Amino acid sequence: MDDKTEKDILQDIAAREYEHGFVTDVEQEFIPKGLDEDIIRLISAKKDEPEWLLEFRLEAFRRWQKMKMPTWAHLDIPEIDFQDIIYYAAPKKDSDRPKEIDPELEATFEKLGIPLNERAALAGVAVDAVFDSVSVTTTFRKALSDKGIIFCSFSEAVREHPDLVRKYLASVVPIGDNFYSALNSAVFSDGSFCYIPKGVRCPMELSSYFRINAKGTGQFERTLIVADEGSYVSYMEGCTAPMRDENQLHAAVVEIVVEKDAEVKYSTVQNWYPGDAEGKGGIFNFVTKRGICKGSGSHLSWTQVETGSAITWKYPSTILKGDNSSSEFYSVAVTNNFQQADTGTKMIHIGKNTRSRIVSKGISAGHSQNSYRGLVKMLPGADNARNFSQCDSLLIGDRCGAHTFPDIRNANRTAVVEHEATTSKISEEQLFYCNQRGIAPEEAVGLIVNGYAREVLSKLPMEFAVEAQKLLSVSLEGSVG
Amino acid sequence: MEETMHKTFKIYEGATCGMVIMLDGSGRSILCTGMPGDRTACDADDFGCIVLEKDARLNIVYIVMPGAQTGIDLSVALNGEGAEALVSGIYLCSGEDRVRIGMDIRHNVPHCISRQLFKGLVSGAAKVSFHGRITVAQDAQKTEAYQENHSIVLSDDAVVETRPQLEIYADDVKCSHGATVGRLNEEEQFYMRSRGIPENEAKVLQMLSFLYPVLENVADSACREEVASAIDSAVRHL
Amino acid sequence: MEMNEILLEIKGLKAGIEGKEILKGVDLTIRKGEIHAIMGPNGAGKSTLSAVLAGRENFIVTEGSVTFLGQDLLKMSPEERSWAGIFLSFQYPVEIPGVSITNFMKTAVNAHRKAKGQAELKAGEFLKLMKEKMAFVQMKPEFSKREVNVGFSGGEKKRNEIFQMAMLDPVLSILDETDSGLDVDALRIVAHGVNSLHTPEKSVIVITHYQRLLDYIVPDVVHVLKDGRIVKTAGRELVAQIENDGYDSIG
Repeated sequence: MDDKTEKDILQDIAAREYEHGFVTDVEQEFIPKGLDEDIIRLISAKKDEPEWLLEFRLEAFRRWQKMKMPTWAHLDIPEIDFQDIIYYAAPKKDSDRPKEIDPELEATFEKLGIPLNERAALAGVAVDAVFDSVSVTTTFRKALSDKGIIFCSFSEAVREHPDLVRKYLASVVPIGDNFYSALNSAVFSDGSFCYIPKGVRCPMELSSYFRINAKGTGQFERTLIVADEGSYVSYMEGCTAPMRDENQLHAAVVEIVVEKDAEVKYSTVQNWYPGDAEGKGGIFNFVTKRGICKGSGSHLSWTQVETGSAITWKYPSTILKGDNSSSEFYSVAVTNNFQQADTGTKMIHIGKNTRSRIVSKGISAGHSQNSYRGLVKMLPGADNARNFSQCDSLLIGDRCGAHTFPDIRNANRTAVVEHEATTSKISEEQLFYCNQRGIAPEEAVGLIVNGYAREVLSKLPMEFAVEAQKLLSVSLEGSVG
Repeated sequence: MEETMHKTFKIYEGATCGMVIMLDGSGRSILCTGMPGDRTACDADDFGCIVLEKDARLNIVYIVMPGAQTGIDLSVALNGEGAEALVSGIYLCSGEDRVRIGMDIRHNVPHCISRQLFKGLVSGAAKVSFHGRITVAQDAQKTEAYQENHSIVLSDDAVVETRPQLEIYADDVKCSHGATVGRLNEEEQFYMRSRGIPENEAKVLQMLSFLYPVLENVADSACREEVASAIDSAVRHL
Repeated sequence: MEMNEILLEIKGLKAGIEGKEILKGVDLTIRKGEIHAIMGPNGAGKSTLSAVLAGRENFIVTEGSVTFLGQDLLKMSPEERSWAGIFLSFQYPVEIPGVSITNFMKTAVNAHRKAKGQAELKAGEFLKLMKEKMAFVQMKPEFSKREVNVGFSGGEKKRNEIFQMAMLDPVLSILDETDSGLDVDALRIVAHGVNSLHTPEKSVIVITHYQRLLDYIVPDVVHVLKDGRIVKTAGRELVAQIENDGYDSIG
């Protein structure tokens, strides 16, 4: 394929539209712009929180004030004015029927493919739908609570299960862990809480869907998942936002506690608005996700498909504390146009015979920069621990970048760490072969990229896999090489 | 880079430069060079920054012996098309050794090849860190850049850190890196022992064969012999 | 005898790669129902001809014309040529990791149907078609789950090519050195596939260095391509002459 055709196709693919860029016209309640202790007190008061939680927020805020934005990532982050953000926005409830979901919001989620009506909902998936700063509804709560499973919004959990929340909150991501998690701890508004009791296998997929709608706001949700001994849960997270010229901030914290012999599968399809073809607008996504395999034989698996956001800064990590515990990180990160992603994982091996596996597939197109950053640490007590990492990068076009920054630290004679990375581009031979069989270049790129990412996509729950595959092709539209 | 500002050493168009630098408790010395002239003529510290012009060839091998408290910082810039750099090393660390290796390979133009291969054995309470970076500039199409770092940890108190990094801004490239930090293969050991080879000897054989691929990069056969025998006796004493 | 309709007409074709001229004026007319063999020594330009016909863009056509069913073939993209009915069995089929044969063929078949204004095949219909065509080249059902050409033996790769040919039902098939790397059994299977697909409406170009494949796929016309030109055209008896006397005896 000659240069000209290659460029043309590349441009076609990059030009495709973001599908979820609409705005919902709903009456919303905002608090004033900016961030200080009064704002935090106001958020806490709006949510009718107990004193300990307000103290938690204030403590986080005081720490955050002393912290600086981290600069070690391979990202070019424009100045963010944290006083120019609205930290709380919620749709106004209709006072006549406060128990029901606003039809506007229901229609919004319907349009996003997330029906909130249990009869219309996907079979086997319970959803917690978060709109800006609040949870709109959580489906199938009754069916789940029959099994003793708690799945509700974070605010409800604070009201109804304060002891559980207090026990586990910040137990994996401490208050002052990093700049963005400290900010989140100070201002988090809503999110999901999930508790699976001992020995219970959660009968359906649990999922949270995050939607940013309001202008000038940020979203700061908090998710806490606790899998008690011998339990199992598969959890999925999705997200979208309207198309706007301004950048909007999303700084979430996800904490996962996996007790003895329990298993948690956490899957994300991240589709925040990535900005337009010139790099204008888009979400700044600074997320701290961390789980602890606390008990022996516990298992935590992360699967992420990252296609959105103008900037992604995200390292879902696992602390392998329990002996014989294991963790996996499967990631596909696609960047196009002017997107930047610096994403990867940390696997901290503390316990004996712990295992971790990292499979990362980065795909860069347009003028984007895509980095894998990973830490694998074998502590002195991690006898016979093993890690294997495979990090591949695929470049589409000659104006993008693909980078790999692994960090391996082994302090145990019996532990073995292996890391491999390759960089390649879609070959002309592959494209031509597809073309000769009648598959047009754009479709061929989608096919080849999906094949390239198959190992990761196959780890997603069925409900997500199809969407993720489509998303990969759409994200690369206008970029073929 | 903390100790000295390195001078830039340039390999001119079409020229070949090969050298073997040995580092031990007494400092560094150049064992042999593929350059004309006296091998003692240049100080090993001169090679902190090497620039390759068109079709130039570089083959540099570092041998870090036990007792060396050292930091190696090398930056190689491939500035002319057709240039090829082979940078490799062996590190044997024991006791309280602290060894830090920093490699910075920059592909600034198209059609260049770089290969890095560092292998080492770490025992006692030694600590080794390897920090290697390959940067491929946007216009450096058809680059081939490979980087391998493999360490074997021989004792409970030894620590190895490795950070092999790829920074790639061009698409038509072949780049890869691999890193492992592990232990001697027990199945191999068992196999050798079942053939009557004593355990210690089996381990020595394994270690030597692990290091051998780097040794192969020493082009001069007399020099290779010299290095091989030094390594052989050092490995037996690890 | 009445002449059949012309399918492909190549006139004065000159083409090359990276400024080097490889085809130095090729003329060739293929009518419906005919099987043509293009033979020639290594480096004669045989594979260049197949690449140019399929639309490989790094080969540049400098002179001449190619007409396929009355259309200017050189103006068409590779996928348009595929939709129009040209199929190339590659000499070296490329690996596409992670893409299953089923998914690959479904995408291709539906692209063809879309180009013809037909609706996509239903999953059941498609699988039935797959099964039928796989049996045709003696491929086991498990084969459909494998990744396209990944880890295939030489014989499997070529059988996969003929299977795809059966699926896409082309008007003109170009078999580029399909016999290379095949043992006798695989050669028979491939040849059987090609022969059974052949109808009076369709044509085949067999590009080969050796006689072997032509024992099984019997050509109507044989051309010898040497140094970028067709130096001799005759009936199938030419094959035996080449086998006995070599290419030096010709042209």
